[in-house]
Amino acid sequence: MHRILVAAFLAAAAQATWAENAIKDPAAGWDRLWFEVLVDITVLGVAFALVTAWFILRYRRRNPNEVGRAEKLTAAAAVGWTVIPMFIFMADDFFLAANGWQLWNAYRQVPADRLEIKLESGMYSWDYTYPNGVQTQNVLKVPAGKPVLLRMTSRDTIHSHFIPDFRVKEDSMPGRVTYLWFYPQKPGEHIVTCAEYCGIMHSYMVGKVVVVPEAEFTAWYTQEEKKLAETGAQKKGV
Amino acid sequence: MGKTLKEWIFTTDHKRVGVLYLIGSLAAFGVAGVMALLMRWELTTIGPTLTENPSTYNVWLYAHGAVMILGFQIPALTGFFANYCIPLMIGAKDVAFPRLNAFSVWLFYVGIILAILTFFIPDPPDVMWTAYPPYSTITSGNTAFYTFTVLILGFASILGGVNFLTTVAYMRAPGMTWNKLNIFVWCTLAAFVLQLIFVPVLGTAVTLISFDKYLGTSFFDPAKGGDVLIYQNLFWFYSHPAVYVIFLPFIGVVYEIVATFARNRVFNYKMVVYGGIFGIVGLSGVVWVHHLYVTGMADWIRIGQMVTTLLISVPVGFTVIGLVGTLYKGAISFETPMLYALGVIFLFLIGGLTGIPLALTSLTLHLSDTYYVVGHFHYVMAVAGTFAIFGGVYYWFPKITGRMYSETLGKLGFWITFAGTNIVFWIMMDIGVKGMPRRYYDYAHFPQFENAHQWMTFGAALIGVGFALAVINWIVGAARGAKAADNPWGSQSLEWTTQTPPPPGNWKEVPAIREEWDPYAYARP
Amino acid sequence: MAHDTSAQAHAEHAPEWEVSVWPFVISFGILFALPVAFAFKFVYEMPFAAILALGVGTPMIVAGIAGWVKEGMGSHHGEGLAFPAMGWFILAEAMIFVSMFAAYWFNRLTADAWPPAGSVELPRLLPLVMTFVLVASSFTIHHAEALLHKGERAGFTRWLIVTMALGSVFLGMSAYEWNHLFHLNFTPGTNVFSTAFFSITGLHGSHVIVGLGIFIAVLLPALKGRINTPFVRTASLYWHFVDIIWFFVVSQVYYW
Repeated sequence: MHRILVAAFLAAAAQATWAENAIKDPAAGWDRLWFEVLVDITVLGVAFALVTAWFILRYRRRNPNEVGRAEKLTAAAAVGWTVIPMFIFMADDFFLAANGWQLWNAYRQVPADRLEIKLESGMYSWDYTYPNGVQTQNVLKVPAGKPVLLRMTSRDTIHSHFIPDFRVKEDSMPGRVTYLWFYPQKPGEHIVTCAEYCGIMHSYMVGKVVVVPEAEFTAWYTQEEKKLAETGAQKKGV
Repeated sequence: MGKTLKEWIFTTDHKRVGVLYLIGSLAAFGVAGVMALLMRWELTTIGPTLTENPSTYNVWLYAHGAVMILGFQIPALTGFFANYCIPLMIGAKDVAFPRLNAFSVWLFYVGIILAILTFFIPDPPDVMWTAYPPYSTITSGNTAFYTFTVLILGFASILGGVNFLTTVAYMRAPGMTWNKLNIFVWCTLAAFVLQLIFVPVLGTAVTLISFDKYLGTSFFDPAKGGDVLIYQNLFWFYSHPAVYVIFLPFIGVVYEIVATFARNRVFNYKMVVYGGIFGIVGLSGVVWVHHLYVTGMADWIRIGQMVTTLLISVPVGFTVIGLVGTLYKGAISFETPMLYALGVIFLFLIGGLTGIPLALTSLTLHLSDTYYVVGHFHYVMAVAGTFAIFGGVYYWFPKITGRMYSETLGKLGFWITFAGTNIVFWIMMDIGVKGMPRRYYDYAHFPQFENAHQWMTFGAALIGVGFALAVINWIVGAARGAKAADNPWGSQSLEWTTQTPPPPGNWKEVPAIREEWDPYAYARP
Repeated sequence: MAHDTSAQAHAEHAPEWEVSVWPFVISFGILFALPVAFAFKFVYEMPFAAILALGVGTPMIVAGIAGWVKEGMGSHHGEGLAFPAMGWFILAEAMIFVSMFAAYWFNRLTADAWPPAGSVELPRLLPLVMTFVLVASSFTIHHAEALLHKGERAGFTRWLIVTMALGSVFLGMSAYEWNHLFHLNFTPGTNVFSTAFFSITGLHGSHVIVGLGIFIAVLLPALKGRINTPFVRTASLYWHFVDIIWFFVVSQVYYW
């Protein structure tokens, strides 16, 4: 029971920090929760395994005619052996559910100050469109320090935009718009890969997120916009 | 010889139908197992290794998944074990509808023939066993064969369900009350109830795919107002319960083995049956959304099913506690079936607990569709289930064939497989967490995992050798093993009281069940 | 094989192994008539081969069912258990309709506009008449059963034939309506509504056909004076189920 209280307390504390308007990076939250769950399941697993191993060693058959000596449980014992484990499991379940849900909120609450990019996936490429109309394929260039939101759809089969380094993926599919966001903080390159079986060349559907310093990004972004305007003007001229 | 053959092929006897199920499902296991080995071979190195064509690999992957689940595990558990054991365990002369039973088994053969035709037809299906549209409706592969494989095997198992639910409800021996049923009987009944409720949903889902692909309907075509997510909802509405259709009978088999080899009563029988088995049936229909955490499902259904998914740990916990508790104060001996059963406990423990992160919608955003998921469900369902099936076949082998297998070879096979299993699937979960996505023919952009993949191929080879040893052991044992006694393990359960192998009609006279009899009553007060 | 030799050793004083060829025949008939024929027609576009496969499969199925029914008439297995078993089977059948309706509701409730473009006005009167016919057939089979219970075998056969006639009339009206709609260019591929309409009415119609098939298997022996009462009860239970499902079809597809 007291784990539930702790969970409730943690949730309340998290709400308080949320009020300060700090951007919570879901990737960091993922790593924290993963570690927590790992400890949880390891404790349970080791406990069960040790008990089982001890029974196996302790109750070996010592002569061929030996039979088990377990007595029939009394009614009280039978109920106790049902209700007590049930409460232990349920307490753990609700504790994990609360933590999982809290992290889920971090995944769903997209910061207002963000770069919003459209993604259309197709067999077998990722096609990004920036707010100013610049388009790139398979390379998503973003500035460090700004949350990025992808609004995704697909022109053929279901794909899944998976960025392992940012601990996030979401399916893109025809007829629906889904979204995901991530928070690139340092310059660097991160692989993007398709996580939903989408066709014969599924395993070659790869791209990358290139995080660059903000100044570099702005320079590239305005330059691309200019190029776009020129080609547009040329097209109109013709 | 002609008469014998005729008596086997056209048999309506539940034991022979059961053996036909066993032969068919082991053949399917062999084929699907070879597919797994081919895939592991392909993945030994980055780039093409065994085949230049990703399509070929995808067909292997499709066949491996579909045949293992639909052609091996479900038929072996709800076909072979249910057929062979249930009438013997409840003291019946046969099932309620023997001809319907024969019909089920031959439909099952038709189903696996269709599945195996995959390797001989042009444009074989390459849709994975999940067959998500739109890919399954636009591929040049023969999705129709997938649809019909599912429909025919599904129909066979619905007929089986009808048959066995009626049999157990109406044909128990006098004095065989519900609380004296073997745990295996309870488990299998529960699995059949799940099949009856959920198989039709899968049948509908895969039929709609073929409607869309071949008859021009638009269930899943957004251009005409359809929705691709309907399929995934229908599919997982069946296919999550399908996990329990496999889990329940296999844990039932393990219960029988553990109780017999520990010569002990089942710990807290009523908790296991009314809490564990009933609880799993009750919850199984409301957890499917955890397969759709990355599809943008609405939050209200997501949180609800995250909680129900986590709560599955309660009834599953009951069944594990009952199993471990049965060892307490037992008199345990370690013949081959018992090794497999204990192996299942450990494999299932790892598999079940690694499922907990996948219940959490937030953690799943990273883990979904990676090798972590593949490793998890292989531990919890695929290998744990297969170990239980192999253990069960060893356990009832003397009863079925009237002969003994080689204990040395059996134990050797077990240890090789157990080692190989843990090598493959432990590594698989590890690189999954690090980002390796599933269903990849090539991992060129994840070169850091090449070493891990090579270890997994090595482990897979071990698994193959171990299982092959077991099958060889059975063939040799059936042909020229030592004659088996009627009850070689000293079990209390009813199926061991008839002669070995059981004659047509099972008993000269249906046994009368005494008040104090219990399938697990070893300690005499 | 070990099993056989010991079984033969006991042959004198042990009962015989029971056999039946029909389940085997029907199963392989299904293999040819359904997957193989369908794949030839729609996947590989070889209609002649498809007809050939149908030609092999269908007689196998028909012969298999006939043989099975003949055997079943004289059998004591599952005496009286067919009725509860049919209850379980109906549960499974009902789930097919539930999933079909679920797909329909999902599409309909998330649609931007309803009815979608391309839909036509469905006839209003015909479905009412169809409902009347089907409900009437439920009463007639019930009456037939009551007569059988009283031992009036001839009366039973007569009312069974009336029931089958009503069922056939229902199918005829359904076929007439489909044909009418096809001429209005309302086909399964038109939009999500036509998809649901044809799938659901077609699914229900196929159940009516199966019900009629079961009745044929009751009628033919009955004409020769052999009536298996539990089988009749079971067949009529199935027919009532098909009838009840129609209320869902008519309310969800025609009048909503």
